[in-house]
Amino acid sequence: MRECNKHIQEIADYIDGELDAKLCDDIEDHLKGCKNCRLMVDTLKQTVILCKDGEKEELPESISSKLNEAIKKRWEKKFGKA
Amino acid sequence: MNEKELVKKAQSGDFEAFSLLIEKYKNKIYNLGLKLSGDRHDAEDILQDTFLKAVDNIDKFRGESTFGTWLYAIAVNAVRALHQSRKKAELRPIEEYLPSGHGSGDDTKELFEWGDPHELLEQKELKKVIDDALAEMPDKYSAPFILRYFEDLSVKEVADSMHLSVAAAKSRILRARLALRERLSEVFKEKANERV
Repeated sequence: MRECNKHIQEIADYIDGELDAKLCDDIEDHLKGCKNCRLMVDTLKQTVILCKDGEKEELPESISSKLNEAIKKRWEKKFGKA
Repeated sequence: MNEKELVKKAQSGDFEAFSLLIEKYKNKIYNLGLKLSGDRHDAEDILQDTFLKAVDNIDKFRGESTFGTWLYAIAVNAVRALHQSRKKAELRPIEEYLPSGHGSGDDTKELFEWGDPHELLEQKELKKVIDDALAEMPDKYSAPFILRYFEDLSVKEVADSMHLSVAAAKSRILRARLALRERLSEVFKEKANERV
């Protein structure tokens, strides 16, 4: 872990819990002594958390009705009935 | 009835079964379109295009991936078709989002410490920064990122939806994440400076 930039994919895998235990230990050891990597881990983690915080929009009823109508028409064309 | 059974029934012409699949995915596809385009009209077009193509091709779905992954792949193609004429600025290579000199000597530039982002920006403002940054990003990066973290797909499912290798999907997700991290850092830094 001497050249941190080369290990950015491993750091991202570590954050997402997708790294094997041995490499996790290596990264955790490295983080103890590298402030920038700690900040990178923290801010990359927060980037995803902040994205997930934003509420999803509900599909407006008018669009949903239009969609159902269009699908029904297409379905009837393909299968002959709905 | 599970999803596989619903798909089977839909493939034999059962509209009720297909309607249940629409119910499950319509909100997800709408939000995916909204995040990728940043525009409600475009999101509506993407939604309609995706489900009409799903009707046209339902008999070709072989179940090699989940129905959701198959649907997301159609939606991503619909976005690509819609955005074909729109040029978006390419993201920089991964190393350019990392601090220069990091780990290789004393010239390392220290990263900005965010603290609590909610103290700097309201939730509404934060959402706008994220939505704008994603909408400005080329779809080949924003789509894998959104599928991975908004729709909670595994990296393998993202790769399948985007017709990419797992390594390529991982790399694009990381590039989008780093670009977004950088954008948020700029905004937080600006806000923190305004307070000094």
